This record gives sequence, C-alpha cells and structure tokens, in this order.
Amino acid sequence: MVELDPILDVDLVGAGGVVVRAREFDSRILAVEPVMGDSALLTLSLPPGMAGSLRAGQFVDVLCRVEGSYDPLLRRPYSIFRADSRTETMQLLVRPYGRGSAWLASRPVDTILDVLGPLGNAFHIHPRSRNLLMVAGGVGAAPLVMLTDHALADGRNVTYLMGAADADALLPTSYLPSDVEYGVATDDGSKGHRGFVTDLVPEYLRWADQVFACGPEPMFRSLRSVSSAHRLGGKPRIQVSVERTMACGLGACLGCVVETKHGMQTSCVQGPIYDMDEVIW
Amino acid sequence: MAAPSLAVDLAPGNPRELVLANPVIAASGCFGYGLEYAGVMDVQRLGAFVSKGITPKPRSGNRMPRITETPAGMLNAIGLQNPGIRGFVKKYPKIWDAWKVPAIVNISAESVEDYAMMARILDELPGVAGIEVNISCPNIAAGGYCFGWDAAMSADVTRAVRAATTLPMMVKLSPGAVDVVSVALAVEDAGADAVSMINTLVGMAIDVRTRRPVLANATGGLSGPAVKPIALRMVYQVAAAVQIPVVGMGGIMGLDDALEFFFAGASAVQVGTAVFAQPGMLIRLIDDLGEWLSSQGVGSVQEIVGAALPAGLPSRRAATEADVEIDFAAAVAAG
Repeated sequence: MVELDPILDVDLVGAGGVVVRAREFDSRILAVEPVMGDSALLTLSLPPGMAGSLRAGQFVDVLCRVEGSYDPLLRRPYSIFRADSRTETMQLLVRPYGRGSAWLASRPVDTILDVLGPLGNAFHIHPRSRNLLMVAGGVGAAPLVMLTDHALADGRNVTYLMGAADADALLPTSYLPSDVEYGVATDDGSKGHRGFVTDLVPEYLRWADQVFACGPEPMFRSLRSVSSAHRLGGKPRIQVSVERTMACGLGACLGCVVETKHGMQTSCVQGPIYDMDEVIW
Repeated sequence: MAAPSLAVDLAPGNPRELVLANPVIAASGCFGYGLEYAGVMDVQRLGAFVSKGITPKPRSGNRMPRITETPAGMLNAIGLQNPGIRGFVKKYPKIWDAWKVPAIVNISAESVEDYAMMARILDELPGVAGIEVNISCPNIAAGGYCFGWDAAMSADVTRAVRAATTLPMMVKLSPGAVDVVSVALAVEDAGADAVSMINTLVGMAIDVRTRRPVLANATGGLSGPAVKPIALRMVYQVAAAVQIPVVGMGGIMGLDDALEFFFAGASAVQVGTAVFAQPGMLIRLIDDLGEWLSSQGVGSVQEIVGAALPAGLPSRRAATEADVEIDFAAAVAAG
C-alpha cells in the first residue's frame, strides 16, 4: 500500500471518515434543465456509493470535448450543486461563458461525460453553529445549495443571499428548500435589492454564526469591506470558495495556487474552500 | 506468440543502468512527486516518472495566473515552486524507495556549481533511480542566458553533474537552442546517458479586454498537442546524430502520437500535459502499445525505434561494419 502525502491523506478522508479516492469515471447526463438565464442544470449519474460521500464545496473536473478532439484541452471544474445518494446522482450548474462550459451546457441527455472527482476540500460547519449565512454570486450559487441541504438536515437555520445581473439570472426559489430565508439583489433592480448582494450582508452578521460565500473575486473583496466593520474578533468566520484556472485538479501542476498565511496552497486539493482571513488578497 | 517486450535501458553506457519495464514516463512538472496521482491510477505500472523540478533553495513560484489554455495546448509559468533540494530529500525519496516504479529527479539551477551540488546530494540516495537535468534555466554567470541554448554551457552543466554522480543522467534539451543537434552532441560527449526532449516552447497570450499578458509572468512554456510537430522534428534530428537514447516528448495524447516519436528515433516517451486532462491515459498508452506491437508481430518496442530515420539509429548502425560507412550528416540533410 502506498503511503500518501499527509496533505492528500487529510483531504481524501470524506464524510464519516471514509477514504474517498478521486477517480476518472464515465457519467451519463440524465437531465438538462435551463435555469438562471442561459445556464443549465445537469443531472449526472455517479458510480455506486459515491453520492453519499460527496461533501458540500467539493468539485469535479469535466472533460469538455469529444473523443479525438484536443480542444479545449483541459478539464473544467464545477462545484457540486446537489447530490442524491438515493438516485446515485449529482447536479452541476453550468454557465456557458467559455468554450468548455458552452460545450457542456449544450450537451443533450444521454451524453457520456469523462469526469474526474470528487476533488478538493469542503465547507466546514462548526458543530456549535446554529445560524448560517450563504452569500452567492451568479453560478457561485452551486456549492451553497448543497451546503444548505446538509445544514438543514442537521437542524440548522439558513439564510441564503444571492446576487445576479437581473431577475432572470437568479436561482429560482423552487430550487431552495422552503424553510430557507432567501434574499436577492440584482444589478438592474429587476428583483430584490438594486445593487450588490454584499450590500445585504451586514444586517445578518450579528445573527450568523458562520458565513459561506461563493462567487467572483470582486464579490469577495466587497464582502471583506462590508463585513469588516461588523465583525468582532474575526467573528463570524467567513469561508469562501475560490476559483482558479486549474489543470490537473490533483495538486500536481501547482497552476491553481492561492497565496495564504501558510504559504502557497493548491486550490484544487488544499482548497477550494478557505477561511477568508487566511487568504492573502 | 509471447507478449512483446516493452523494456528499455535509458543508460546503456552506465553500470548503474536505468531499466524501465516499459517506455512510458510521466513528465516532470506534470506529475508532482508521483504521490498526487497514486489515488487515481496505478503509478507502479509506469515505466518511470520524473519529479517536479527541484532547485537548490525552496521557491514559492510565480504569481497568479500561472497557466492559461491555448489552442490545443497550454502555457505555464509556475516558476519552479518546490521545497528545495534539502526539503525534497527529507520527504520523497524514502517513500519512493518502497515503490517498484523508478523515480527520476528533475534538477534545475542557475549555476554549474549548484547543479553539481544537487547531483552530489542525490548520488547515493535510496529511492532515486536517475536524474533529469533541466538546462532550460538562466545561467547567472552568463547574464541570464539559458544554459540549454548554448552547446558549451550545456556541456559544462553535464560535465559537472557527471563528475558529481554516477547516477543515470538524462539531460532535458531546450527547443530554444539555435542548433539542438549540436547541444545534444555536446551533452553526449560530456557524459549524458540519455537526452530527453523537448522542454516547453516559450510563448505568451494577451487578454484583449485588459490589453495585458494573461500570465503574471507575461511569458510561459507552451505544451500540448500544439507543439508536437516541432518536438517530433527535433527528436528526429537528434536521434539521427547521437548514440545515446533519446526520450521524446511534446504533445503525446495517445498511441499514434507515441508511435510517431518511436519512429522518429525516441527509445522512450514522456507524457505531460495529456495527464492533466486524462490521468488514465498513461496506463492506456502502455496497454495500447503492447497490443499494437502484438498486432504488428513485433517482438520488442525497440525494433521500431528510428524506423522513420533514413539511415536508422546511429547506435545500431555502428554495430555493423557496412553501416559505419554511411555519412550521417548527409543522410539527415537528405531527410
């Protein structure tokens, strides 16, 4: 048996202490739902037993090309939107903003995809946290939906804030469990608050035991500035899911590093989830 | 018919030899330290793997972004992020020592003395099967001119490493050399057991929205299918000229690409960028190669090496008296 790198070892330990090994597997597209404007929500088959081991914040790398084509060359990372161990499926939210994602978002049902995963670490909910605040920007909604599912199953309270360009690009309420408080912001004011989603954050910072955020980098910068005056002693803690261009997804190429107070870390293995205060922005 | 032989010795002139069970090697920079891939594939089945480049001192690497995709390729400017030779020695060789697969350590430095210093440290280290010398580094003593672009400077590094270790040594050639054949001949003469080629080609990409280079380092190394024709041409030229084994790489995505390199004169191949996209392809390539050789009735992969060279491999030509008469240079020029 191969001795694993201590860093990898930690991150390969999944829910319940089960060792989860990322693997390359074939996955069938079972359903495609148009959602959030031009995006698609794909339901994909999983190898038996994998769905129950997936943790919120983890991602998979999808090869977005047909056999025999080398373009686009590299896989594309997608956070897991939702996983269902009963049907052995997961869902991915794909916004067609690049060549790879445009290819993936337009695949018909029954397409077989080459998927590598599960990859990365996960959001960590502190055992004593009761109230959780989610802050989503655009397709950053994905991992926070799965986290919301898990948090509610554990009896916690969730407020889910989301920002998008317009009403059409928001995640419809029907995709969130009914006992979630859902607040929205749009750039054009077509629904909810007109402005940034982070404008809504300060009023929840006293309530929240923890904050979880996923979105574009400018949203994190805004989150830092609006929250700084309202946080005491670094509380509530804020975890963010960062996005980096990546190649291998396994911590080998060092192309996707994040500069932290503990040095350069691979966002694919040691991330993508970081304590916001540990990252050097 | 017996299964075809896939074995190859990449240091036939070295008593310590570097015998691989098959000619498929995971390339430096694309395979970490082997451990990263141990969970997703059977690393032990590889012919060998080459570690991420190690430098004399720890390096935190370049700023982000470090990689960007290009048509059928990618640019990288990682900046040799690594724990330095001493940090490396403490951690990895003892793990590899229990492994079946040969581990080759890639070393990079900015002075001849530093290359030699690292080679001395690695010389008797259990778990280390060989060294790959990355000469695509700036030579500080030459004002930052890349060692690998110049035959004499490449030979200086090779000679110093040879004096510091008896380990099998493969010198990784730079495609930026004006005359890659003269560099290959120079490092062969200076004691290299093999050459591997090619390292990435320096390129760049510019973001049309920001009007700035995409990579924080501005330029980066181009790899992937986009570079294959260049790599193949260089392997073909060098394999026609040197007596030592040539290890070919550059954009190999599957069996047909690997076969092209074998026909061009490569005794083994390295695969890098393709592994990022499909880690499973390394093992598939080994299996596909074995099946292809069987289907062709070829007993050993070494029989097909250099099949595309007009006058065959020099090392084999020298074996028969009649062949010695062939004018190598003329043969290559004619090709």
